[in-house]
Amino acid sequence: MSMPFDLAPLIPLLPFASFVIAVVVGYFAPRALPKGGAIPGIAATGLSLVLSLWLAVAVQGGETVNKSIYTWVSGQGTFDLHFGVLIDPLSAMMLAIVSLIATLVHVFSLGYMNDEGETGLPRYYAGLGLFSASMLAFVLADNLLMAFMFFELVGLCSYLLIGFWFREPGPASAAKKAFLVTRFGDYFFLIGVVATIATFGTSRFVGTGDHHSFPHIAEQALAGEATVNTFLGMGPEGWFPIVGLLVLGGVIGKSAQFPLHTWLPDAMEGPTPVSALIHAATMVAAGVYLVARMYGFYALLPDVLAIIALIGGFTALFAATMAIVKNELKQVLAYSTISQYGYMMLALGAGGYVAATFHLLTHAIFKALLFLGAGSVIIAMHHNENMWDMGNLKERMPVTYWTFLSGSLALAGIVPFAGFWSKDEVLYEALAHGLGGSTVLLVAYAMGLLAVFFTGFYTFRMVALTFHGESRTETARDPHGVGWNVKLPLAVLGVLAATIGLVNMTPVAKLTGAEIEYLHQWLDLFEPTGAHHYAELLHESGYSVGTAGLGETNLALAGAAVSLALALAGSLLAWRLYAVRDPVVHTDKLGGVKTVLYNNYYQDEYQVWLAEGLTLPIARAADTFDQGVIDGVVNLASSGSLFAGRQVRKLQTGVVSTYAALLTLGLTALILAFALLGGWF
Amino acid sequence: MAVPMEYYLLLSAAVFCIGVFGVLTRRNALLFLMSVELMLNAANINLVAFSLYHGNLTGQVFSLFTMALAAAEVAVGLSIILVLYRNFRDVDVTEATTMRW
Repeated sequence: MSMPFDLAPLIPLLPFASFVIAVVVGYFAPRALPKGGAIPGIAATGLSLVLSLWLAVAVQGGETVNKSIYTWVSGQGTFDLHFGVLIDPLSAMMLAIVSLIATLVHVFSLGYMNDEGETGLPRYYAGLGLFSASMLAFVLADNLLMAFMFFELVGLCSYLLIGFWFREPGPASAAKKAFLVTRFGDYFFLIGVVATIATFGTSRFVGTGDHHSFPHIAEQALAGEATVNTFLGMGPEGWFPIVGLLVLGGVIGKSAQFPLHTWLPDAMEGPTPVSALIHAATMVAAGVYLVARMYGFYALLPDVLAIIALIGGFTALFAATMAIVKNELKQVLAYSTISQYGYMMLALGAGGYVAATFHLLTHAIFKALLFLGAGSVIIAMHHNENMWDMGNLKERMPVTYWTFLSGSLALAGIVPFAGFWSKDEVLYEALAHGLGGSTVLLVAYAMGLLAVFFTGFYTFRMVALTFHGESRTETARDPHGVGWNVKLPLAVLGVLAATIGLVNMTPVAKLTGAEIEYLHQWLDLFEPTGAHHYAELLHESGYSVGTAGLGETNLALAGAAVSLALALAGSLLAWRLYAVRDPVVHTDKLGGVKTVLYNNYYQDEYQVWLAEGLTLPIARAADTFDQGVIDGVVNLASSGSLFAGRQVRKLQTGVVSTYAALLTLGLTALILAFALLGGWF
Repeated sequence: MAVPMEYYLLLSAAVFCIGVFGVLTRRNALLFLMSVELMLNAANINLVAFSLYHGNLTGQVFSLFTMALAAAEVAVGLSIILVLYRNFRDVDVTEATTMRW
């Protein structure tokens, strides 16, 4: 094992150290903390980035590591619980993304928080540090339980950061909502973790030596070569999908998939750099990453995959429709995040492990870019987020405009920006495997394809309203300038958003036969978690590629052409409608539909009803039962003995003669009783 | 064996009953002590009588022990009565009813 692997635990520990510094120094000597904790944070995440890249180079060289670091429960003849490090191509890639975004977000925060004169900065940077640390540790986790622990920590940090401005009612309630909704999903995840350990006796993602991984044991159990503990009287075929769905509960909560997506738009109440971190690299990505991490298990369960694909496709479309009527910049981006994570779930469900990972990578880049761009606009607009108050900002802030445009082209999926390549691959996987004989995948594909049009529309509606046309307010005519610390992250991400898609140009590779699917090759470097291995598992589960008689290359090209045409159609329509001197609210023409969309299909309302109209009465009834019946029995026992004691103690009169009389009477009674029973008379 | 066994036992029972009667009816603590002495001596009569009856000395030895016990009991009892008098200005046992619920 070489040097970078020994240093791997430092990757999460460095941001953790910055968290500790921000908390301790920020509490005892806030003046001694440079830039309110930003400098230690930037240094720590920057070093993590360097280490991650070094690690990625080492992984490229064919090395991986999978070792247990600290065993905190060791069972005799059962299972043990430990912390460990698993570095394979997937986690190495994710480490690089997370530490890159975290570093840039820290730098950007200098402009968004420090320069704007926010108070409570040590708390903010402590939150960012812990957030990065827990996400990095989650990515490194070599077993499901450790992943769960850091998954929860990520949720906690999102609560702390979304509620950073906790004195205002909005952020405080949004933080609570984010925490509760994701906790609801995590509850299923927790049961899933317990079920996994109970079933397989291990929760390792990848086996070492004698210790097999749980996906491997599951594979053998389904083939009848190994025995596992199943519950509820089911065989492995019936039980494994339940375990898979339980874990999926946590994924749906964290990755904001329907129906647990409602927390994410509200999370926009937090500071914008935090939104960038949550949406691009940490919180929301955790869910999709988890499915990719244990894909060897999901690949065995075609029914669960179909559910994942359906949820993903539906969420992609559902969220995209809501995004087209929003008036606030960050709201549009929030719904686009939900929609894009829907695509990743669609890819995972459709058997496109590489496609999902690819989209995770490109989305992390362009969504971080868009959020930081939005943050820059928000600084310029003095914290007004309403797009109808902006307009013509491209003249005033060219760096923000051009980078934001790069991110928008990537989001809309216009060739050759990053999002085109990854989204196209997602859709191709869904189409090909759908044609291979799965109607569910075809339905999911249709929804995903339709969402492409809406994506193009809302993206360019946002760009046009924000940056084009006439300045509609005084602030937009004379925006607040932004410094280097805002422009640098934007520039880095802007270039990456335009180019990162080139790492896996599947249609070009299919057309020319060139070996340029670098991400695909990269993910195949380590066999047990390699794309090739998963493809075999999927094939055994009944996934096959259909081409509708076109041939694989033609199908890929046709799919790409259709999705590009739809994206362009949506974009151009939005451009025609909104990139004019005085755009009007065209969405008003939708009438009642707009009201429904604007109210998010009344998802919040029905969830509030579920909580207040259904859960609360049940909880009250249970409380009454508990207080009345359960406690009643206990209270009756105590009051009964109290009453009896009060009566009996009256025997103790304090008069000795009474005691003597009672003694004598008692003795006489005893003697009489013995005499009668003993037959003395 | 001039006197039959039954007479000793009847005497002992009579003395014991007198003692019990005294404890139950009297209110004076000193009379309590005297009644208790009567009961103890009723037991002694029994012990000595059975000792004679069986022809060994075990019962008589026991009665010596009982006497020592009675002496000790009186010593303790008298001191209690003294304290009782000090606290209640009386040795009437029905007056001293503070040790109750």
